Amino acid sequence: MSEILNPYYLQIVMFFIINAIMGISIFFTLSTGQLTLGAAGFMSVGAYVGALLTLKAELPIPIAIFIGGIVAALVAVVIGLPTTRLKGLYLAIATLGFGEVVRVIFLNLEVTNGALGLSGIPAIAQELTNYVYEFDMDGLLDIDALTWGNLLTIIILLVILALVILFCLRIHNSRVGRAFQAIKADDHAAELMGINVVYYKMLAFVIGAFIAGIGGGLYAHITNFINPTDFSYHKVVQILLFPVFGGSNVVWGSVLGSFILTLLPEVLRFLADYRDIIYGALLVILMAVRPDGILTEDLMDKIYRKLGVKKKAYIPETQVLTERFEAYKAQSKSGQE
Amino acid sequence: MFLQQLVNGLTLGSLYAVLAIGLTLVFGVLNIINMAHGGIFMIGAFVGLFMVTVFEVNIFVAILVAMVVGAILGYLLEFVALRPLRKKNVSHLAPLISTIGVSIFIESVALLVWGPQTRSFPPDFIGGLIDFGMFKISMVQIIGLGVSIVLMLILNVLIKKTKIGKAIRAVSLSTETASLLGINPTLVISVTVMLASALGSAAGVLVGLSFDAVEPMMGVVIGFKGLAVLILGGLGNITGAMVGGFILGVSEVFSVAYGASSYRDAVAFGLIILLLFWRPQGLFGSKDKGGRP
Repeated sequence: MSEILNPYYLQIVMFFIINAIMGISIFFTLSTGQLTLGAAGFMSVGAYVGALLTLKAELPIPIAIFIGGIVAALVAVVIGLPTTRLKGLYLAIATLGFGEVVRVIFLNLEVTNGALGLSGIPAIAQELTNYVYEFDMDGLLDIDALTWGNLLTIIILLVILALVILFCLRIHNSRVGRAFQAIKADDHAAELMGINVVYYKMLAFVIGAFIAGIGGGLYAHITNFINPTDFSYHKVVQILLFPVFGGSNVVWGSVLGSFILTLLPEVLRFLADYRDIIYGALLVILMAVRPDGILTEDLMDKIYRKLGVKKKAYIPETQVLTERFEAYKAQSKSGQE
Repeated sequence: MFLQQLVNGLTLGSLYAVLAIGLTLVFGVLNIINMAHGGIFMIGAFVGLFMVTVFEVNIFVAILVAMVVGAILGYLLEFVALRPLRKKNVSHLAPLISTIGVSIFIESVALLVWGPQTRSFPPDFIGGLIDFGMFKISMVQIIGLGVSIVLMLILNVLIKKTKIGKAIRAVSLSTETASLLGINPTLVISVTVMLASALGSAAGVLVGLSFDAVEPMMGVVIGFKGLAVLILGGLGNITGAMVGGFILGVSEVFSVAYGASSYRDAVAFGLIILLLFWRPQGLFGSKDKGGRP
């Protein structure tokens, strides 16, 4: 048991979950057809704000992480006002630029300790281990207190991830989700249909930033140490790869992508120097074979069918309208008689 | 002081311009951002360095060889990472990721072969300073500025006057119409990517020479600046890339000279965020084509 639960494996699982959350934050803005590369920027805002609040203001960790997410969302509102009006690659580069500007600011500020970064950030696992001692769970099920702390952290992270995924799944068929899909398919047509394109794009941008901020806060309180280089261009690319690799049209794609891409470097560790070469080649091959990522909507439908999950029957709008019209006619007729 | 900084800015800007022209050429024809450009740029720098140190050739020959190697790499890039994607109807994300894959590949190979250390050109190569009274200019700067301007002029003639140049412009306007008119788009796209990579490679040698530093990760930072210039000038616009390169170079040098030196790397992106408020399609971008993914 203790062999499977060694800290190294548990750490990888934690990183996988955080990566999945970050991947979903990109997926969320992608679902309106906006390619933003600002996730690392928002992540760093969340991470720094959260870490500073726990370090300097000594707030409890959950509150600090939540405030970090809120601040990231607020920054997104400010940044989003001009940038969500941009299209395609202009948006991508502008948000990339935002991330770079944020990084340089953190690099030069006094309070963020510049290039040295913040260290000694209280760890979630450590806090939980203290609780384990308090409730006398040390040695329970032959698992020592430290491992319990790590396990509980993973459970909390999983709950957060599950909430985020649930949120994405539930929003998919709502009014907002439909608007997102319409904008992704064609934003001019969506505008003609009476959808407020700028509002919905902004909404997706801000929610994506909030998720990224939360992810950043969690990251800071798991690694205990952050510095501006953690959120550089490489991080942006890494985060972007999760949804694109796994499948950028379904939320499970981000989860699968982050799972594979977090695990792969660890599995390939024995290849040492050749690891990144294989990683790069793999990306090229995957894009040639499955340009939409591993999981696509068709594949998900097949999987759902195999699993026996019934998809909700889709009733076309026209049918609904005809039914309503018939009912109205019948009603007005009976009124006349 | 002012004039000196202006000269420094213009030389730096000319390098950015050559780099960004490569990006903008590929964008114009293929509507994608070539993230592997930085990788080819870095390889170019290494080839130039080895030509100078190992084979002891003239710097101009070294640049030429680097350009040829760059063109070959460009062809491989197109063949391996872009051509398979063109056959299918894919989202604009796929080529982006594919070229990111190539850049990771190139960088890690370079890291493996040449190691992470920074190499420099032989000292006698740097040459002396020429004093014009008002400002000083080094041999390296003259070479950088001169070669970039010559390359830009050649490219201008190539694009505007020759048959292949016309074909490139036709394909960048509309691939379908161009192929209906008897232009072979595959050939034109290959040539464009090769041309762009050759320019990127030349920029690599020049940047390596002027910063006197060649290392495997140099493509990432500079590649970033190239992207900034690309947006600044307007996607797919060659004049825009030239002017944008000079603007970025000058504003970077001035920001270092008059204060905010530690914010140097943020200048490029701060500049484009400000610019996009005013002109969402870049300085020279046209409104109808601009920004379409």
